[in-house]
Amino acid sequence: MQNKTRTALIAYAFLAPALILLAVFTFYPVIYGSYLGFTEYKAAQFAAGEAPRFIGVQNFIALFQDELFLKGLWNSIKYIAIVPALQIAALAIAVAVNRKLPFMAFFRAAYYVPVITSIATAAVMWDWIFQKEGTLNWVLQGLHIINSNSAFGWLNNEHTAIWALMLVTFWRGFGYYMVLYMGGLQAVPEEVEEAAYLDGATPFQTFWLVIVPMMRPTLLLCSLLSTFAAIRVLDEVVALTPGGGPLNSTYTALMYVYQKAFDGFNFDYGMASAAGLIIAVIGIGLSIVQFRLNREGEERA
Amino acid sequence: MLKKALMVSAALGMGLGFAQQKVEIEFWSWYLSPKFDNYLKDTIKDFEAKNPNITVKWFDKQDTMVQDLIASINLGKAPDVVNLNIPDTFSAAQNGFLTDISTLTPMSELKGQFWDNPLNNFTVNGKPYGYPWYGWLNEGVMVYNSDLVKKAGYSEKTLPKTNDQLLAFAKRVKDRTGQYGWIPNFIDASGAPLWHGFFYADGLPIYDEKTGKAQFTSSKHVALLKKYVDMYKAGYFPEDMLRKEAFQLSMELYNQGKLATIVGGPQSLTRIKDANKDLYGKTRVAEAPLGKSGRSTGGGMDLVIPAASKHKKEAAMFAEFLSNNVNQMKFAKIVAIVPTSKGAEKDPFFKQESNDPIIQASGMVGASGRYIDPGFNPPKNSSVLYKNLVDNLEAAFLGKKTPKQALDDAATFWNANVNK
Amino acid sequence: MSVTQDRIVQDEHKRAVARAKSKKLLNTILIYAFLVLVLVFAVFPFLWTLAISFTDKSATGGVSIYDFPGSLMPRQITIANFIEVFTQLKIAQPFWNSVVISLFTVVGTLIVSALAAYPLARMDFPGRNILFGAIIATLVLPTETAFIVNTMTLKNLANLPVIGGNNCFAPSSVAPYVCQGLGTYWSVVLPTIATGFGIFLLRQSYLSIPQALLEAARIDGATETQILWRIMIPLSMPAMTALGIFTLVNTWNAYVWPKIALLGAQNLEPMSIAVLKLKGQYNFDPFNIAAGAVIMMVPILIVFLSAQKLFLRGLDGAVK
Repeated sequence: MQNKTRTALIAYAFLAPALILLAVFTFYPVIYGSYLGFTEYKAAQFAAGEAPRFIGVQNFIALFQDELFLKGLWNSIKYIAIVPALQIAALAIAVAVNRKLPFMAFFRAAYYVPVITSIATAAVMWDWIFQKEGTLNWVLQGLHIINSNSAFGWLNNEHTAIWALMLVTFWRGFGYYMVLYMGGLQAVPEEVEEAAYLDGATPFQTFWLVIVPMMRPTLLLCSLLSTFAAIRVLDEVVALTPGGGPLNSTYTALMYVYQKAFDGFNFDYGMASAAGLIIAVIGIGLSIVQFRLNREGEERA
Repeated sequence: MLKKALMVSAALGMGLGFAQQKVEIEFWSWYLSPKFDNYLKDTIKDFEAKNPNITVKWFDKQDTMVQDLIASINLGKAPDVVNLNIPDTFSAAQNGFLTDISTLTPMSELKGQFWDNPLNNFTVNGKPYGYPWYGWLNEGVMVYNSDLVKKAGYSEKTLPKTNDQLLAFAKRVKDRTGQYGWIPNFIDASGAPLWHGFFYADGLPIYDEKTGKAQFTSSKHVALLKKYVDMYKAGYFPEDMLRKEAFQLSMELYNQGKLATIVGGPQSLTRIKDANKDLYGKTRVAEAPLGKSGRSTGGGMDLVIPAASKHKKEAAMFAEFLSNNVNQMKFAKIVAIVPTSKGAEKDPFFKQESNDPIIQASGMVGASGRYIDPGFNPPKNSSVLYKNLVDNLEAAFLGKKTPKQALDDAATFWNANVNK
Repeated sequence: MSVTQDRIVQDEHKRAVARAKSKKLLNTILIYAFLVLVLVFAVFPFLWTLAISFTDKSATGGVSIYDFPGSLMPRQITIANFIEVFTQLKIAQPFWNSVVISLFTVVGTLIVSALAAYPLARMDFPGRNILFGAIIATLVLPTETAFIVNTMTLKNLANLPVIGGNNCFAPSSVAPYVCQGLGTYWSVVLPTIATGFGIFLLRQSYLSIPQALLEAARIDGATETQILWRIMIPLSMPAMTALGIFTLVNTWNAYVWPKIALLGAQNLEPMSIAVLKLKGQYNFDPFNIAAGAVIMMVPILIVFLSAQKLFLRGLDGAVK
């Protein structure tokens, strides 16, 4: 009994710094912010020093009647399409650079370059890559995939803009996840791969049938992280399509939140907080689904 | 030593020995550092020398100016003098963030220092909220690439003088040289659709300032929009104009030799000079084409005093000093701004002869501060209305809506949301 | 088994090994081809930036930075853009600020996360699952408007002597403002060091350390602090490094929060804010922007390269 109390005391002592900081700087703002979602709190009230006024679910009703918000929500959900592509590619790259071959350290470092590039700089470059006369079309024309007559600006076309942004997200993200996967890959002994090769498996088969199943826990973590990141994508969207893209095809839900919270002296903290809450609820829902899928997969395997 | 002696004597002079309290005021400029550090520091030094009881702490803010200001008010650390533009001044005043400056500087004094137009640009509901600082004209000058213009078969004399001629010009330049002739302003950094300016330039109304109701659905409005939509669809304007701020895009394309003209303030010239010296050598300036009304719209910066400022009296003194004719003229000599102060139009600086495009352009627009006119004042709830208007216009350009449908839809939304 | 049969089997085996070898070689070639392709994709924008940053802007010979592929090969190389950025922005102070802020944040994050992760991974105590759930939840909570509340909290913290003390690595001229509340290094650092991600990452790493090691240490009479310090942390060094690098990258590039937290203390602003000034309204200069971007990136790249060894050794199941 005494021992148990002692353990608990030590545990809480170790946890104390993290818990205090999280309570002050994360939980309290989130709770207060969630409360704001149920209030009216606009710029004029703020300027006059008035407190937020509780109004129930009115903000949420208004949001679900606001076409712009719904469009944003839909685009944010669409953005999750990046997750499987990004995760599988990052894992494949991690497997490739994890070998004891010359120059691997160099490749690893080079792949990390996009992660540390600030979006302000990256945006200048990607903008030009996606131009009608830009690098992407230059490459595609060189490969005879398109001809110069059918070339178009990838960010100016309502059907391609969001995919172009996903490519930027992919570019910025694969090095980050690669590092996470490199950690997980230590659990896959090289002999397992070797044995698969000797059994006549192609690298592709080895990857799918041996490595992916063994990496399931890491895949789950990375998929969760990247799902949250996708549903809350903002940086690249704002930097490359500040107005929300052609016909709002890249306008995301978080852009709506930011516009309401930061757009000049006309801000509306109540609406911004309510919209933020909706995004969070969707994020939590998706993570539960992923956990379920993962568990089923594990049981089958 | 001398300063101390002066202060002591000043204190004694006040009789009862109340030493004057030294006041520190905080001043925020917008996007002016590091390029204009020397100008601002010197001006502040001047001010402090003339007002020994006031010190000015200066910060330059960039893209997060507005958030920073709101956060600082939240913290009870509001700055005392802040540099804003027209739309933000309106929005801030409408929501109660600013001080009516006529309570600090008598109206007669304001009218003596500034032209009526710039002062009106910062007047919200009949009250002035900003000391007009530097300004610009949207159709200030036409900067052009003489090579491209010549290739398209134009000479200095045949350059377009009206907006209609400008459209014809854009067509011919594209047809003959393959490069763009001119890019209309579709998107502005402040979120306001500069498209409004085109209606206004042709003498067409935007909205009724009394009721807030939209007035941009007449057949004339539709016809004007259609002209531009047709040009866009035929490929005479770059696709990027729907996505990027007009000024930024024009600079990008012009500097690559892919655009023949930029209609706007002379500040584009400084950037051309910085980015591409060869091209600057081929660059000339001409009078800007105007719309049917013959009016040139413009914009400006001002100096406001937040309602939360703790030193309003001293703030007003500094704002007045910084925006007076002497100091605006000093600024105009460093960068091609349009001073808004009375007396600037007589300055010999704007009369000098030169072959340098920057000096020529400064001369052409510098003395026109009294004409600066934003076209219309921002309505309430402007960011929401503008976003919807831009979305609708975009739909028209991309062929998803007819110009009439787009304007009708935008007007419906406008009327439903303007007084929210 | 006859000799011939034996021989046949041996030959068969040799051929199989040879086949496997040539197949392996082919695989290796394919891997390199794949890696080079990804390399081009990854570093192309960076190389472009690098080229522009070293381009002599007065001698572009009419080639604009947007001319592709012309702008990848500057006609004349210069370091003038870097010098201009250094002098114009007086970048030494912001650089120092970035170093201090990043150092505090990384060290703080590592300490706080390591301490919190240990009991969550290896101790049995009431409330563990709830706490862990709550910490994980921070990954998805809506924090968009948190900055409003955080600024108010920091304002109130300014009056607490706890965070006090003088001159925390700041130039003496700003010392009085440095250690308390808003407008100090700590105001940038404190709200960011406890994260669900960091705690989770280290917890997963601790979980993979064999229980036998802990039992042995406990039998030897080691305290929990000693176990954490002598066993858990050394054995999870790769995960610590990964967390350190991730934190460093985030802190180094962050600008929204530092900007708000440092209101009124511009002399403490990090490089990420200083470099943005290159994009000012009247002084847009792509060459200087590129130089600024390179200046921002190089320190992190150096740190990453020197920490590579630890990744190389493997993260030892850090994210199992």
